[in-house]
Parts: sequence; structure tokens; C-alpha cells
Amino acid sequence: MLVSITKKNQEVTAKLNGRLDTPAAQNVAEQLEPLKEDAAGTIILDCKELSYISSSGLRIFLSLRKAAAEKGGKVIVRSINNEIRSVFQMTGFLNLFQIED
Amino acid sequence: MSEKLSATAKVYRRRGLFMVLLAAVMLEATTLTQFFFARRDLKNEAELRAKNELMVSSLKIESIMENVETATKNMAWVMTEHLDDTDELYDFFHQLLFTNPDIADVAMAFSPSYYPQMGYWFEPSSSRSEGGEIVDEEIGSEQHDYLSMPWFKKVFDSGIGSWSEPYFDNSGGKSMVVTYAEPVYDLDGKMAAVLGTDVSLSFLSSLVENVRLYPNSFSKITSREGRLLAASPDSVVSGKALRQEAEMSDTGWTMSIVIPQDEVFESINRLGHRVILLQILGLLLLWFILSRTIKEQAKLRQVEASKEKIESELKIASEIQMSMLPKIFPPFPERTDLDLAAAMYPAKEVGGDLYDFFIKEERLFFCIGDVSGKGVPASLLMAVTRSLFRTVSAHEKSPQRIVSAINDSMTGTNENNMFVTFFCGVLDLRTGHLRYCNAGHNAPFILKGTVGALPVEPNLPIGVMPGMNFKEQETDLSFDDSIFLYTDGLTEAEDADHRLFGEERVKDLLSIRRTAEEHLEALETAMTKFVGTAPQSDDLTMLFIHYMNKIDPEESERHLILHNDIQQIPQLADFVETIADEMKIEQSLAMGINLALEEAVTNVIMYAYPKGSDGLVDIEAIMRKKSLEFIITDSGIPFDPTQVPVADTTLGVEERPVGGLGIFLVRNIMDTVNYRRSDDGKNILSMTKNI
Repeated sequence: MLVSITKKNQEVTAKLNGRLDTPAAQNVAEQLEPLKEDAAGTIILDCKELSYISSSGLRIFLSLRKAAAEKGGKVIVRSINNEIRSVFQMTGFLNLFQIED
Repeated sequence: MSEKLSATAKVYRRRGLFMVLLAAVMLEATTLTQFFFARRDLKNEAELRAKNELMVSSLKIESIMENVETATKNMAWVMTEHLDDTDELYDFFHQLLFTNPDIADVAMAFSPSYYPQMGYWFEPSSSRSEGGEIVDEEIGSEQHDYLSMPWFKKVFDSGIGSWSEPYFDNSGGKSMVVTYAEPVYDLDGKMAAVLGTDVSLSFLSSLVENVRLYPNSFSKITSREGRLLAASPDSVVSGKALRQEAEMSDTGWTMSIVIPQDEVFESINRLGHRVILLQILGLLLLWFILSRTIKEQAKLRQVEASKEKIESELKIASEIQMSMLPKIFPPFPERTDLDLAAAMYPAKEVGGDLYDFFIKEERLFFCIGDVSGKGVPASLLMAVTRSLFRTVSAHEKSPQRIVSAINDSMTGTNENNMFVTFFCGVLDLRTGHLRYCNAGHNAPFILKGTVGALPVEPNLPIGVMPGMNFKEQETDLSFDDSIFLYTDGLTEAEDADHRLFGEERVKDLLSIRRTAEEHLEALETAMTKFVGTAPQSDDLTMLFIHYMNKIDPEESERHLILHNDIQQIPQLADFVETIADEMKIEQSLAMGINLALEEAVTNVIMYAYPKGSDGLVDIEAIMRKKSLEFIITDSGIPFDPTQVPVADTTLGVEERPVGGLGIFLVRNIMDTVNYRRSDDGKNILSMTKNI
């Protein structure tokens, strides 16, 4: 599971690449933790290369979303595949995040 | 019922009467025809007889008359030479009378004054006296003026000889006579005299009297002018008569025979009366017999009809009973470890074969039986046996005890001394272990690669003896083994020449690999073909059980065992991928399944075992045609994930708790999720996804 983070003004983009399963989640959570600093701005989670997500992954997404809500920023989830979209649908995440193609 | 009987009897009686009348008409028609022809023949015969008689009589008369005529002619011819001597005349006369007994007298009437010395009339004559002597006399005189007499005049005038009409002769024999007159010429060719010979007609009377064809027939002879010459006495006929006539050429006389018709037909009439009397008697007898027979037939039919009714009702009862036997094949379509087929072909009469089977607690209970005898009692006993089998086997697993229980309850009530040959088996479908008990039935065939007879204790049939100790036997079936049960309607089926179908044919047919249903069809077809036109004499029942590998060839398992280490989770992805490939599950569904499995397993890894202790998670995947089941087993603390409250996915960001999504996903993705805690302290979570 690879994570690359790029910052640009008020926008932080995290590119997620691979499978975000339970063992991977621990590592990813650590890498994304600093993003909460930028939660007042815009956090973009680029999921173009994310093939799979488990509840541990969803939990990371949700904690970022909570931080943003706290600081008045926003979280954009970009380019999720159909499988992940149906998981979002199932869990009500479609309503919590701004989803972009 | 009796009203109906009398009504039908009436119909039959009328039919009987009609038949008698028909017979009468036919009989009378033939009799009358015979009668008609017989009468015709009798009439023809009578006429023929009369004709014959007439011919014979005519010939007699004619021969007499001809003799007289010839003799007279000869003499007239001779006299030409002897006219000189009148004395000689009497000699000739005597000669003539002597040689011709039929001639009564002879006279020669000369033309007037032929011999001047003899006077104007000269007629010498000779006649027979009553004593038989011949008397000569010259009878020509003024008183006896022959010149004016018809016999003389006719010949004298014409010069041709001829017979006179019969007349009563006063001068000669004083009787009815007839005269033949012939001219006599002298040497100069001049007519000198007329020679006359008289024939007495008294012979005609005796002749006529002798002609008596029938007791009351008569005959008569009349002259040309219709004068009666001779007739039988009592010549009177009342009623119809047959008449035959014959005319004689020389004299012109007619002889006739009259026969009263009654006499001709007397014999046939008498016979006719007797025949008719006999026929009437015969017809009466026929009617009597017919009406008796008909009455009995009507009664018989009534009995037959009520018998048929009873039989059809019982047949319906037996059919109802039959319909309760399992008849839908395949009977257990969901079972992949059993191919079973049964068939029953009842003979025309209600019979007593039975079979039954059912599965209870993974055991196949089955039986086949043949009740002794046929008909209603047999079919009733069959019904009883079958329901006893069901009742007893509901709480008995041992075939021996099932058979014993049926036997005991049947011998208690079986008053007809009927019995049932019976075979009962219980096959444990999990192990292939077969327990069976045979009660006098023929040994089933067992198919274990080769076809052989299942070894059976003969035992007595059910119903023979109460408290009978039946022996139970057992064997083990391997996958693909079969057992074939049948009643003797199969092996003892006979063709038209009474040859048996036999066990060898059955064995040969069974050795071919077929499904249960195909086996039964092949056997039935072969047997029907063998039997041909011979009627089916016995019920035929067959039961074929094919025990197969209980694992569905379409069902397979995959196993994965993980330690309670979260780093092992990625193995699940490979596990699911392999399964998805094998089951051809599409990518997105596979990912969902992966997710659910990961969540469930993560749950176990994280929470089942105390921190730091080593534990195992057993994951079994069962792949079926239409479903995929995961059974996750661990030995950790009891935990039922299905009892975790459902996460509220409608809450807003602030209110949403971060956790609790795992179980939520499992329950959402999978179709069924079940948890149980096993007796040996294991958490067993089973979850199934329908594909």
C-alpha cells in the first residue's frame, strides 16, 4: 500500500495506491495522521489507484472527515472504483463525503 | 334391486319369446316348403301311375280289338274264294270262333238276293250259346232287316271295314256288343256281303274293375259318342280329383282314371299333422328351456354386476392405497447421494404387491413385499402391511424390529391365514451401512461392480407365526453400489410357452450401467417383449437404489487456517480469489465477499483470544452450485457477532462513531449469517452468499 502526499496552497492531496485492508490500515493511518493539521483547508483523497478498502480504511477516512468538520475544512474523495462506491453506498459514506470523479 | 331384476327379466323373457317365434317361423317355412314339394311329387307319382295303368289297359283292349279286326279281315279275304258253297260258310264261322275266344258271334249279311235261292235276305250266323256250344242260324229275314242296320249300311255303302258304335244286342249274346264289319268281295270284285264279328264288352267291365290305384279311385271307358261302356262301381268322387285320360286310336274309345285328391295326399297330410304337433311340442319345450335359461342368466348377470361393482370399488380403494406410495421420481431431487426409482405394474386383477421408502435422519428406509394370493383380500392386506411399515418405522431404526413388529401385529388379526413376503432395509446414507431383514422374500440383487444376489436369511414370511424370531443382516455399500429389489412377477413372468423370464436375464440387464429409472424401464421393456401376447399373471414391482458418493461433484471445499495475527489477513484475498476463479464469480462480487470475510476474520483475530496468546482461525469455504458458504471456527471466548447492534449509517459526521462498521458490512454483504457456540467450546460462524 503506497501513499504519496502533495501539498499545494490550502490543498493537500493524498494518493492511495493498492489495497487498504486491515493490516495496511495501521500504516496508512500513521501516514495520513499529519493531514489533520491541514483539516481547515481541503483534503483530497485520490483513490484512482485504490483497489480495495476494508472497515479499517473507512475508519481512517471517517476520522479525517471528522477533523475537517471540526476545523471547517472539507474532504474530497476522488475517483473511487465501483466496488468501493458500493461500499460507500452501503455505509452511508456517500452522504458524508464530497465525491468527485 | 328385485324390481330391477324383474324388469330385466321381463326384457329377457320378451327376447326369449321372440327367439321362439323366430324359430317357429323358420321351422314352419321349411316344413311348408317340404310339404309343398312332397305334395307335388305325390301328385306327379299318382298321375304317372294313372298314365301307366291307362296305357296297359288301352294296350289290352286294343290288342283284343285288333285281333278280332285282323281275324275278320282275313276271313273276309278268304271268303271271296268260297262264296260258291253256302254250306261251307258255317265251317269257316266255327273255325273263326274257335280260334278267337273274344269273338262272341259272327254273321255274314249278303247283299239283297245274292243267292236268289236264299231269298232277299240271307244272313247265316254262328254264335256261342250260354253252355259254350256254337249255334248256327240263318237270321236274315224281314223282321231282322240287316240291310237297314248301321253296321251293315256303313260298310256296304263305303266298302271300307269299320267298328260300329257299341250297342245292346238283343239277337245274339244279349249283351253290350261292338261289331267289326268288313266287306266281302266276289271274284268279280263285286261286293257280295258284309262280314260282321261281335265282341262282347263284358271284358271291359272286369278290366275296369281291376284298375284300382287308390281305395276310392275309379276308372271308366266311354265310346266316341260318349256312351258309357264300362265303369267301376261306386264311381262317385266328392271334392277335388285328379283325372287322367287316354284315347284308343282304333275304336275312338276313351278310358279315364279319376283319383280323389285327398287319397293321393293322405299319407303326407297325416305326416304333416304329426310333424306340426311335434313342432309345437318342441317349440313349447324350447320356450320353456329358454325362459328358464334367460331367467338364470338375468340372475347371474345381476350377481355379476354387483360383483363387478364391489370389485371396482375395491380397485379404487387399492388405487387410493397405491397412490399413497411414493410415486414421484426422482423422489429426492435435492439429494446427490441417492438415485432411486420404483415401479409397480399391477396385473389386471387387484393385487397385493407393495413397496415404500422414505428418508429419516439421513437413513433410507425401504421395503418391498408380495402378499400371497390375489384379489381383494390380498390388496387389503397389502394396504395394512404398508401402513404398518410406515407406523412402525417412524420410531424404529432396526429392520429386524420393524419386521417383527409388523409380523406381531398382523398375526394377531390375520384370520385368513394369508402372508406377505417382505424385505426391509435401512441404509445409513452417511456411511453406506445397510441393515436388512428378509421375511421370505426373494433375495435382492446387489450391484458391486458385478451383479450378485444379496445373501439373505430366508426366514418365514410375515403373518405366518406370531413372535417369530427374524434374523437381521448387514452389509456395507460403497459409493456407486446399487441394490435391486423385485417381486417374483419379474422373474416368473411367463411367455406363451410357459417359459420363465428368469434371474439370468435380470442379471444380464442389471450388469449394464444405467440410471435407476433407466434400469426399471429396460427391465420392463425386456420382460414385456419376452412375455409377448401372454397375459400378465402377477403384479410386478421393482425398486432400484443406487448409492453414490455423498459429496456433490458440484460441491467442493477449500480450507484455510490462520493464526490470530492480523498480518495474515492478506491471505484471505488470495483465498477468495482462488474460489472466485473456480466458481467464476465476477470481480465486484468477489471483492464484496472478500470484504465480508476479512471483517469476520479480523473480528476473530482482534477479539477472540487474549492479547499475546496464540490462537487459530479455521476457515472452511463450501462451494456449491448456487451458493458459497464460509464456516469460521475459533476456540476463543464466546462471541456472537450477530448480536452486535447495527451501525446507524444515517448519522451525521459528528455523531457517527468510527467503529462498528465491520459486522455491519458482513451482515449487509452476506445473505445469511449464523452463529453458534459448539458443545466443545468453539465459536462457529457460518455465512452464506447466494451466487
